[in-house]
Amino acid sequence: MQDLLYFSQQLINGLTIGSAYALIAIGYTMVYGIIGMINFAHGEIYMIGAYTALIAITGMTALGLAWLPLILLVALICAMIVSSSMGWAVERVAYRPVRGRHRLIPLISAIGMSIFLQNYVHLAQGSRNVGFPALIEGGFTFGSGEAFQMSLSYMQITIFITTLICMTVLSMFISRSRTGRACRAVSQDLGMASLLGIDTNRIISVTFVIGAALAAVAGLLLGMYYGSVDPLFGFIAGLKAFTAAVLGGIGSIPGAMLGGLILGVSESMTSSYLSGEYKDVVSFGLLILILLFKPTGLLGKPEVEKI
Amino acid sequence: MTTSLKKLVTAIGASVALMGAGHAAAEIQIGIAGPVTGPVAQYGDMQFSGALMAIDRINEQGGVLGEKLVPVEYDDVCDPKQAVTVANRLVNDGVRYVVGHLCSSSTQPASDIYEDEGILMITPASTSPEVTARGYELIFRTIGLDSMQGPVAANYLADQNPERVAIVHDKQQYGEGIATAVRDTLKDKGVEIAMFEGVTAGDKDFSSLITKLKQADVEYVYFGGYHPELGLILRQARQANLDATFMGPEGVGNNDINTIAGDASEGLLVTLPPSFDEKEENQELVKAFEAKNEDPSGPFVLTSYAAVQLIAEGIEAADSKDPFDVAEALRSGTFETPIGTVEYDEAGDMKSFEFVVYEWHSDGSKTPAK
Repeated sequence: MQDLLYFSQQLINGLTIGSAYALIAIGYTMVYGIIGMINFAHGEIYMIGAYTALIAITGMTALGLAWLPLILLVALICAMIVSSSMGWAVERVAYRPVRGRHRLIPLISAIGMSIFLQNYVHLAQGSRNVGFPALIEGGFTFGSGEAFQMSLSYMQITIFITTLICMTVLSMFISRSRTGRACRAVSQDLGMASLLGIDTNRIISVTFVIGAALAAVAGLLLGMYYGSVDPLFGFIAGLKAFTAAVLGGIGSIPGAMLGGLILGVSESMTSSYLSGEYKDVVSFGLLILILLFKPTGLLGKPEVEKI
Repeated sequence: MTTSLKKLVTAIGASVALMGAGHAAAEIQIGIAGPVTGPVAQYGDMQFSGALMAIDRINEQGGVLGEKLVPVEYDDVCDPKQAVTVANRLVNDGVRYVVGHLCSSSTQPASDIYEDEGILMITPASTSPEVTARGYELIFRTIGLDSMQGPVAANYLADQNPERVAIVHDKQQYGEGIATAVRDTLKDKGVEIAMFEGVTAGDKDFSSLITKLKQADVEYVYFGGYHPELGLILRQARQANLDATFMGPEGVGNNDINTIAGDASEGLLVTLPPSFDEKEENQELVKAFEAKNEDPSGPFVLTSYAAVQLIAEGIEAADSKDPFDVAEALRSGTFETPIGTVEYDEAGDMKSFEFVVYEWHSDGSKTPAK
């Protein structure tokens, strides 16, 4: 019973982090699915989302607002707006001018953008860790007395539910809406979609905006869950989410979800049954193994060579 | 033309040399090298006020070997490059004793020059173990080393008779070094160490670690590292209802930990250098500082005072003004100073330097732990 509770607790920890990875991974996977490039500045968009949410929360608290749902809603909307415009601007400034060139050029442009955004936040917000107020506190406790008690906090539940809602809405948007259909068309064949009258530039912008908005949601959730943000906040998270995207099959949205959850759980299981020191070894080892044996990822479709 | 110029130069040189000789016969110059300007100048103020007070008081009592001490002040801005310039100027000025420098990164390059040129240096503030780890003969300090905090923390923990202790570190030189020292001392004392584990500096999610700590049912957690990680661990542990007391080194004891951890930083144990100005035997000295309208409570005021006093007593004990003889005397003697009884080992470190365990409060204040 003890061991079971311990296992479940670590499973919950892993699934919480995993869902957040999945939210960030969507941004990588959608962009890759449509224009075949890896947007390395995506981790920074997520970090900016967290900072924006923090600034909004601090501002509202200073104004004396105390109704929690309102604070969260406003913070979420602010973070999504700022991150989305960032995502849009980054695409417009750094990627569109070099689109269609050699594959390496947008990649290098993305790395440059990532370094630029990181340092911009360093300058604008300072390099210190900033504390995030704990807005959602408390939770359920299982198990009693002296023995190990499993806890499931309201914050963790919020992360699960929000991720679930975001994923459902996104899937419906992609499969049902007109823009979603255009997205799928562009990802299948950009040239053909353009010939058939789809404004591909607009669709690509929409992809960046959606990815950035989801990253902002993750930024707010994880900022509250962890408790602090700093300008390097997005770097490791970005790498992990990228790993999750590749693991699940880059270009596939359900794949990103699955990859995120597998990565989160395998990290927390490594920490609990092996040692926390091997956490990153396992997650990046997993990336290498997947790239070696199943380069298309768990749910990815093998790429057909286009002539 | 050239010959007359040569003569002139020779004449000037000779007179300067004579002046220098006359100068040295009457008094002993004590160089004080530290940041007078720059971002850490407030620490420099502490150093200068402590050293100047010591020089005044020693001169009042008749000086050293019948000669007066004369302070010579140098500004290194706590910049390694300027520290080298300062060291070279000291050499040219014929100063043979230095109280300084303050920042370890300045002390390190400057001490290379002092050792080569036969100048005795005592740093009142640099705690990096590297400073005295190079087998130098003339380099001393009146402050503890980073590595001395570990045993202090471990002894405190052992005295609480805990059933199980966990040790976590950030896998970096400072943090893992202290954590290892804590572990070794605890092992010697027979305390059970339930966990010894590293986290990655810059990591944000410690939920797995905290679950493990809960499972291990530990009473104390020692963390070797800095405040950004410990702040998050404290906060996440509080949310997960982990019932354990945390402890950390000097690197976690600053106000940033309160902004990250909030209320969860209440009751954290931290090892820090003691407040020497609160010791009873120093009250007369504290009054002397207050009479001059100076504050003796800064961490480096009395360590600088002690550095000057050690130079003076070293010269008297050696009955010689040769820095090598003085160094020899410092290594073999025992000295009573405001920072306690000082004895030196071969490396030039104090055999014991007190670190005190403080209890940290969420408003940023601290009180000595019971």
